[in-house]
Formats: sequence, C-alpha cells, structure tokens
Amino acid sequence: MDLAFTPEEQAFRLEVSTWVKANLPKRTAAKVHSAQRLTRADMQEWAQILGKKGWLGYGWAKQFGGPGWDSVQKHLFEEECAMAGAPRIVPFGPVMVAPVIMAFGSEEQQQRFLPGIASGDVWWSQGYSEPGAGSDLASVKTTAQLEGDHYIVNGQKTWTTLGQFGDWIFCLVRTDNTGKPQAGISFLLIDMKSPGLTVRPIKLLDGECEVNEVWFDNVKVPANNLVGEENKGWGYAKFLLAHERANIADVNRAKRELERLKRVAKAEGVYDDHRFRDQIALLEVDIVALEMMVLRVLSAETSGKSSLDIAGLLKIRGSEIQQRYSELMMLAAGPSSLPFIMEAMDAGWQGDAALGLTQFPGGDASNAPLASTYFNMRKTTIYGGSNEVQRNIIAQTVLG
Amino acid sequence: MDFNFSDEQVQLGDAVGRWADKAYTFDRRTQTAQAGGFSKVAYQEMAELGLAGLMTNADFDGMDMGPTEAMVALEKLGSALVLEPIAHTWIASVLLDTFAPAALKAAWLPQLASGEVFMALATQEKRARYRLDVCAATATPLGDGHAITGSKHVVAGASYANALLVNASVDGVQALFLVASDAQGLRVEGYSTQDGGSAGEVYLDNTPATLVSTDGLAAMQLARDMGIACLCAEGVGVMEKTLTMTTDYMNTRKQFGVEIAKFQALRHRVADVKMQLELARSMSYYATLKLGAPAAERSQAMSRAKVQLGNSMRFVGQECIQLHGGIGVTDEYAVSHYFKRLTQMEMSCGDTMHHVGEVSARMQDSAGVFA
Repeated sequence: MDLAFTPEEQAFRLEVSTWVKANLPKRTAAKVHSAQRLTRADMQEWAQILGKKGWLGYGWAKQFGGPGWDSVQKHLFEEECAMAGAPRIVPFGPVMVAPVIMAFGSEEQQQRFLPGIASGDVWWSQGYSEPGAGSDLASVKTTAQLEGDHYIVNGQKTWTTLGQFGDWIFCLVRTDNTGKPQAGISFLLIDMKSPGLTVRPIKLLDGECEVNEVWFDNVKVPANNLVGEENKGWGYAKFLLAHERANIADVNRAKRELERLKRVAKAEGVYDDHRFRDQIALLEVDIVALEMMVLRVLSAETSGKSSLDIAGLLKIRGSEIQQRYSELMMLAAGPSSLPFIMEAMDAGWQGDAALGLTQFPGGDASNAPLASTYFNMRKTTIYGGSNEVQRNIIAQTVLG
Repeated sequence: MDFNFSDEQVQLGDAVGRWADKAYTFDRRTQTAQAGGFSKVAYQEMAELGLAGLMTNADFDGMDMGPTEAMVALEKLGSALVLEPIAHTWIASVLLDTFAPAALKAAWLPQLASGEVFMALATQEKRARYRLDVCAATATPLGDGHAITGSKHVVAGASYANALLVNASVDGVQALFLVASDAQGLRVEGYSTQDGGSAGEVYLDNTPATLVSTDGLAAMQLARDMGIACLCAEGVGVMEKTLTMTTDYMNTRKQFGVEIAKFQALRHRVADVKMQLELARSMSYYATLKLGAPAAERSQAMSRAKVQLGNSMRFVGQECIQLHGGIGVTDEYAVSHYFKRLTQMEMSCGDTMHHVGEVSARMQDSAGVFA
C-alpha cells in the first residue's frame, strides 16, 4: 500500500501541467474559473489545441493515434486540465463514440470518423434518450428501416446535450420490434446536416439551452453508417457505459470548485462564520473521501489485481457533491445571487445602459452565475443513469 | 499509488480472521462482557498470534510491522467485535518507543509485546471534551520522580491494566508519565461501557509517577492520531459485518409473502449503507497511509477521516437496525451489539462535531488527498 504517485507519474503530471498552462487560452481559463458562459468557439478551440497535441482522444490506444496512457495517467491529465481551468472535453466524440467505433466499427468507419474526432474538428452528439425512454433506455422507439442501401430514420431523440452545435450524432435506433426490447436496437451514425433532421433547443430552468430535441423525419442514412451488426446496438451501448471510468465522479472539477467556493465565501464575508465554514469543511471531507474512492478504482485498474465494482457509488457521490458545492456558493452570496441578468454571465460585462444598470447589483459580477449553476446542477443526479437507477444496481450487487 | 495488500498482509488478515471466527465467538464475547468486558485469556491468545507486539520494534521482541498491518488486523477484530483494546497496546508501545528514555523502553516494551502486561491510556479528562490542550491533572517533583494529582475519565481497560500512561501538567506544560497500577494514591473505579467493554475512572492523589517525556502534547497528538487510524480500521470491520448480517437477514425474512430484500424502499437504503461503508473504507486507507506524515498534515488527515467514519458509523448502525426491524432492537440478536459498538466509537478520539471543527480550523485554500 502506498498513497504516493511514482516518480514517473509525478514527472508525467509536471509535463502535462506545464503544457496545459502554456497552451490553454487565458481568457477561456478565466471564464471557467468564474463559471462564465463558454461559447462553442471557446470549447472547440480548446478541443483543437488538444487535438493538435494528440491529447483530445486522451483515452485512446496508440494504434488509433492516442497516447496509450494508463488509468493513472488519464486521471492526472484530467486533474491538471481541471485545475488549470480548462473547459471539460465534450465527451460525445472522443470519450463515447470513438471507443465504440474502435471496438465494433469497420476499418472503413475507423478511417472515416476517427481523424475528425481526434482533431476536434467534428462535433459529435449523443442520440440516446427519447421522450419515452429515459432511465428505461431499452424502450427507444425511433425506427430505422433498411430500404436498399439506406436506412430511413423516423422518430425523436431528446436531452441531446449541446446538440445545436453537433455535426454528427450517434443514435440508438429500433431495427426490430419482435423480440425483447434490448434485442432490436442498432447503433447508427447520422450526419446532422441530413435532410429531415431538425434540432430544437430546450430552454432549461437556468435560462440556457444546453439540451435539445432532435427530430428525424424520413432521414436517409447510408447503410454503411451502421456500427457493427444490426440489432446488436444494446451491447455496444453497454460497452460504452462500461467505458466511462472513474472520471464519472468528476472529482478533479470538484476540487477546483471547492477552491472557488472558498473564494466566494471569503469575498462575501461568510468564511469566518463558523456555521457556514463548517459546511465547507464537511464538503471538503466529502471531496477527499471521493478522491480516495477514485484512487482506489484507479489502483485496481492499473494493477489488474483486484476489481472494484463501485462505479455506481462514484456517480452518486460525485453528482451529490456537484450539487452541494453549487448550492453552497449560491448560499454564500445570499441575496447577491438573486438578480437574474443573463448577460452578466458573459466575460467582460460592465453594466447595461439600456437596463439602467451601472454594475451588477451588489457590485460583484462574479456572483451572476451562482444561482444559474445551482439550478443547472440539478441535472447531475438525473442524467447518466439517475441516482435511483444507480442505487438499484448497487443494491443488486449487495443483496443479489 | 497502490491499494493492494501484500501476500504477507493478506496472510496476517487471514490468521487474525480465523482466530476471530473460531475462538472469539459471539457467545464467548457475551460471557466476557458479562464478566467485566476484558478477558485476560483472550488477550493472551491475541498476544500469541503476535498481535500485542505487532508495532513493536524487533529489538524489543516485537513484530516490527506498520500501520497497514495494524489496519488489516483491526478490520478482522472489528468484525468479531473483539472487546479487548489491543490497539491501545500499540499506541502505548509507539508512545514509549518514540518518547521514553532507553531504560523505560527496555523495561516495558518486551512485556507489552508478549502480552504479559497491559497498559491503559489514561489521557482523557471530563472537562477537556476531546481537546488535547486541556489537562487539569498536575505533576510535581517527588524524590527522583514526580507525583500526579488529578483524575482521568472513561479509561479503557483501566481495571485490567498493570500500568497506565498518564498525561499531567508540569508548570502548565503537559508531560507524559507512567504510573504502576499498584502505585500509592491510585484508585480505579471500574465499570462496563455501552459496548460491553471495560473502562474506569482513574483518580490520582499525589501518586508516584515516572516521567516518560516532557513533550506531552506531541505525545497526546500522536496517541490521538494513531487512535483515529485504528478506530477507522476497526470501524470498517464492524460496519462490513453489520451490513453482511443485515443483507443475510433481509434475504431470509419474509413479509407480505416475499423476502424483504425485494422491496425497493429497503434496497435503496442498503445502497446508501454500502456507500457509507466504501467512503469509510476509503478514508480508513487514507488515515493509515497518512500516519507517517509530518504532525500537522497527519492530524489534519486524521480529523478528516474521523468525520467520515463518525458519520458513516452512525448512519450504518442506525440504518441496519431499522432494516432488521423489531429483532434489531433485541439484546439477544447480535446486530444491536454492533450498533452499540459503532455508537461508542463515534465518541472515541474526538466525536464528529469536534473533528468538523478541527477540519474547519485547519482549512487551506486548496484541498484534496495530497493537500
């Protein structure tokens, strides 16, 4: 047993952090550190910088052009990026669809799709959920019917994160209705510029349009965009879920946001109030415990000696912690978190003459996103398999 | 970074686990609890396994093992709810080895390692409320040594001790002393604790004492931190067994015609118990692996660990009683004893609220396992 990273791992960390500090645009980092709004250009710029370095597909094996890092190296990379204030890598391309294409796609598909994902040039979206298929994903109804060398896709996807920016979308579609629901699902790659495909943003409680509905009306998709075999999509989707590793806990971001919480609490004068400060202390303990749990998973993965089936715990705990730090930041600002001025969440906002505002109410525009972030974070215990579904899975492993 | 146990550590755990399963049955434990809560025979059996001298230097006939081995052993002792506080022997031995002059080490460490003697930690005072910088007991020079006047509160195994380690102030500065159990003016009033163990109030009236170290506060801090790491390990063992007993029960007990393990309302509570157990295990590792850190970093880590363990132990205990239903609150069924042990452990070495205060007071701008 040893808590320390090896000298090689520490050298690796230093290499990553040095590179990230030198290459992450300062204005983007400043936005991330104060939760200001990121544009598509901000996110894609960082993706392309990483892509040029060969690090956007940071989980990829060398044979597919990735760095071939082990679990600990991936964790250290994620941590250095998060602490430096890098935007989160939009996962749908490099983290989600790419491993499926690598494992089950044809060589032609690998050559066609992987370079655009690795470079950050092509933006991917995820077409999983439907109005009638949330936690119960196997009941997807969007159909794909083979007609000649094309599938004709009809139906609706929803909760498609950042789908308004997407170039391509990977979808679970129904190709067979006869057997068990899981047995009739296929994994299809669809060009979002296809005729008949419509994206409609959904305005969320924080006023932002982070997710979308994606409608398919007789969309023609070349049959060679089918990944693997027809009706085997459920297995690929499960593979994809298993591929999401310890980072599901997002502990690195939690550490960064804990630092921000302390800054906000100091600025708002509640850091020396014991009642408030003790709540931060409890969160700090929660984050250290989560980090230890993540490190246990990483150790098990790299050593291959023991397996740890606690991914569901990481998802639950990580999402609860995200909600808690955003809640405490809002409470720290108190009434200063209440003015709802969307534009004040943009970098460089300095009052609005048209609205008659000389400054953000209370004087500190960094308070502008606090309530929005809190509202936005309610999603974390719902998406990615709701925490109740995760509890079902955990109970299954404990109780049988 | 590596959380795998070595083959030797696994073997140690297996050996301790076998003894706990075979020799330390629940019936035997119950008899011991009724007879005062400390079996010298059981203690000697553990000593024969090498446990009493687990952390003692080989020069003094010990096994020369470290915190990880201590953790491995304690998880097993926790799962059997072993009453005799062998971890206190480790703490006493490390305190002597770290702070005592050579002659005192030579006189006591081999006897502690062999299990011939037991040494109690008489370091808690009623008014201190877990604070280490409060010590009302005083020591004054007497002949070649000192004499202590004061009292110590809820001292585990006090009635069964051959000697006690006692902290007392000399001119306002804490020092650490060794007091023989037959010393003049020493009085121990023993009783059972809620968990079935043994403790006592220790009264010292101008009682002759041998100086161990004038660096008493550092010794108290080390004792506290070791105590927390040990409690964490033991707590994980207690909780793990509590959960196993609960799931076994849920898979056999039927209501409304089905095993109660089928009910989702109960299954989600079990998932939450599993969460608290794994968080606690993670922080037990953290505590054990931070024991060798510099004192300030070590104490910060222990306070964080104790907050997690305190919350986990209370949650797991309460939930598992509830999941059992009526049988969970009977004396006859073992789970209530696990619950009582977990409850008592939260109030040992500083309770959760105390350590939240410690974490709060020590907070830095950044935080994490490595900060």
